[in-house]
Amino acid sequence: MIASDAGSPDRFRFLATFLAGRPLSVTEAPAGEAAHTDGQFVFVSADRSISEQRREVLVQGALLGAGSLDHRLVRALRGRPKLARRYLALEGRRVLAELATRIPLALVLAPKGERTTLTADQSLEVARGRRKLADPPEWFGVIRPSRLLDAPTVGKGAQPSDKDRRLEFKLTEVPEVHDDGDEEQGEESRILKLFENPLFNSNTLADFFSKLFGVSRSPGDGAAGGEMQVRSIGRGDSVGPNARPLPIPLRFTTGRALGSAVGVGGALYPEWDVHNNRYRPEWCRVIDFPLISPPDLSAAGVQHDELLRRRLTRLGLGPKVIRRRQDGDNLDIDALIDLFVDLHAGYSPPEHVYLERRKLARNLGVLILLDASGSATETDPDGLSVHDHQRRAAATLAVTLEQLGDRVAVYGFRSHGRAAVHLLALKPFAQRFSAGGRARLNQLQPAGYTRLGAGIRHAGEILKAEVGTPNRLLLVLSDGFPYDEGYESRYAEADAHKALEELRTEGIACLCLSIGASTPIDALHRVFGSASHASAPTLADLSPRMDELFLAALKELAAPNRGGLRRTRPRARSG
Amino acid sequence: MLTSGHRPVRSAAKAPLYRAVTNEVEVFRAAARRGLPVLLKGPTGCGKTRFVEAMAYELGRNLITVAGHEDLTSADLVGRFLLTGGETTWVDGPLTRAVREGAICYLDEIVEARQDTTVVIHPLADHRRELPVDRLGITLKAAPGFQLVISYNPGYQSVLKNIKESTRQRFVAIELDFQPADIEAEVVAHEAGVDVQTARALVKVGDAIRKLQGTPLHEVASTRMLILAGGLVAEGLDLRGSVQSAIVQALSDDPDVVGALGELVDAILPRP
Repeated sequence: MIASDAGSPDRFRFLATFLAGRPLSVTEAPAGEAAHTDGQFVFVSADRSISEQRREVLVQGALLGAGSLDHRLVRALRGRPKLARRYLALEGRRVLAELATRIPLALVLAPKGERTTLTADQSLEVARGRRKLADPPEWFGVIRPSRLLDAPTVGKGAQPSDKDRRLEFKLTEVPEVHDDGDEEQGEESRILKLFENPLFNSNTLADFFSKLFGVSRSPGDGAAGGEMQVRSIGRGDSVGPNARPLPIPLRFTTGRALGSAVGVGGALYPEWDVHNNRYRPEWCRVIDFPLISPPDLSAAGVQHDELLRRRLTRLGLGPKVIRRRQDGDNLDIDALIDLFVDLHAGYSPPEHVYLERRKLARNLGVLILLDASGSATETDPDGLSVHDHQRRAAATLAVTLEQLGDRVAVYGFRSHGRAAVHLLALKPFAQRFSAGGRARLNQLQPAGYTRLGAGIRHAGEILKAEVGTPNRLLLVLSDGFPYDEGYESRYAEADAHKALEELRTEGIACLCLSIGASTPIDALHRVFGSASHASAPTLADLSPRMDELFLAALKELAAPNRGGLRRTRPRARSG
Repeated sequence: MLTSGHRPVRSAAKAPLYRAVTNEVEVFRAAARRGLPVLLKGPTGCGKTRFVEAMAYELGRNLITVAGHEDLTSADLVGRFLLTGGETTWVDGPLTRAVREGAICYLDEIVEARQDTTVVIHPLADHRRELPVDRLGITLKAAPGFQLVISYNPGYQSVLKNIKESTRQRFVAIELDFQPADIEAEVVAHEAGVDVQTARALVKVGDAIRKLQGTPLHEVASTRMLILAGGLVAEGLDLRGSVQSAIVQALSDDPDVVGALGELVDAILPRP
């Protein structure tokens, strides 16, 4: 999903992935920095030739693949650049020599000279000693212990660890001021009541504060859409030895330092600034990655909705050949022979000898975009939160559509400021909705905020690139309350509204369902107004007219407006 | 489609090469002795068809192959009346022929056919071993030696196109996967007519692509692709060019992916 560029180091990503034995991307380091890796990215020197960059990728990838950069070993190198250099000199030679037996390229590139150590631990041992060692060649780059240890352990395809899961729950913990399910079910907490003002006769303000207090880590930076003084706190720069990386660190960076931020990769999207009536180009960074925590398969149950299934069965959109029809555009040979046999035998049956094409086949592709943000934590009298409702609805819809033979993907989305909008692939188009996937969806915990516009834009790109069916539908399950760092009220609503509008001009139908949320109708209209939308307390309430909703969303695209109206959105590559 | 499309695939001269990885050959032999139907599953191009060919050769039976497609009707399998002059003549379908001759009937990619079509194989696939031909009003007993083999590619079809449970429970399932590197190299060398060195290099490329995690590729490099690349080498092309044409370009249309795969392949292939 990154724009193509022949000379970009991104071309090495399969090589790096192969060497490291896990998903690894390649990007350019800021000018003047030597090649290094943080375990998810290999940073190559910016101004070198392709072949030099290839060498750098080879070394860094091989180090990762050989386990030379395991936390256990790297911890010993922290704050000791000289030791790190000696270790790199030994390890680099060792892994390249090992690699040379498997990969001819390494044989060509490996520096002459014997490897002196056989294991990583031995290398560390020798590096600690006083033996005189040759400096590593420049293209070995450097080892950046802090980078490696700080790298978020949740990321694009990273191997999940126990820590990931634990911290994921930690982030979603509801603070004490919020309802914790037992007392005051369905009511606002006392503290929130203080903020309720009779003048604002709606939940909006309370909702706003519940967002603020519910999962906020720090107050926002100011009015939405204002020129934000983005926090440039260097969380990553001064970590103590006991510091633990968070799964999704909130590191807001300035526009100029994106390459060195955690959110390298992904795609940049503009955002609609309603106050100035213009787009802010390259404003949000959206990263999509598969959620790969090992699921608890016992939680894979999905509610079955027979009515929904029956309604959605009606959505035949593609042509299908039916045999033995009275009328049609082609002859059915079998039926014709039977007819002749019958005629010869002296019996004249009805002349049903045609093949007819009717719109019965399934060729719908649906991407279900599920709001996985913390804003959906308020609960109803049954103790089910908005998030629970939406999650169940997503699971039921996805299972039903998949059973009917449509292409379905389920993505959850959440954001932590504009530099970190995350799309979690719960079920990509290419995979089956297996028990594991269903369990992951069922166990998805809400966290973070809701930068709806960016999520919708990226989901639209995924839909366009991967679905492959002529009919494309984006199904947004959200409470219709976009809120994020510098993203709220009118600004946020206008941006989400605009994003939906963009997708529709590009031929993607949009349907927004708000399930179990108490968002007032007029607010929903402001957010989803440009697309079909509906709200109900549960999915079952919408099931009876789900076919109408789907068809209404798809119908407006029946005559697609191709050509001049297509706008090219500014998109930029990472780095 | 009816009369000429399903000649025996087996050619008398050359035995197809298949090397057993686990116990699949023994399972197939045992199933053949008992006349049990066999379900083969495995990824694209891993050697399902080749396995059946090899087994048919070994057992000395004819092999009749039918490729499943959406418009496949039960008449296409069983047979139908055709008009010749003023008369109708019955023409056996491939399944009926196999039943009469005692051949192995191989239904390739069975899930592509509609489910109501595949139901006609049910009476053949259980203890009855008979094929009712309702248009003739007869029931054919399967000749000894008749065996039904179907193949499919799990995870490749939509849910609507899955094998019915009632169908699959009648089969002995054999799962095939890409073969271990040394066997695959032998297969590639044999099929493509290249030397073992080249075949090893090709297998290494295939293996590296299969082991990549988190790639946007829908399918990995199959043994069939490696053989294609080997074929190009045997025709005098250089190894890099062959791999580029037969594997890298064939796997993806995305210039990004092609570039990245090219880099990977370049690193793994022996230096010129």
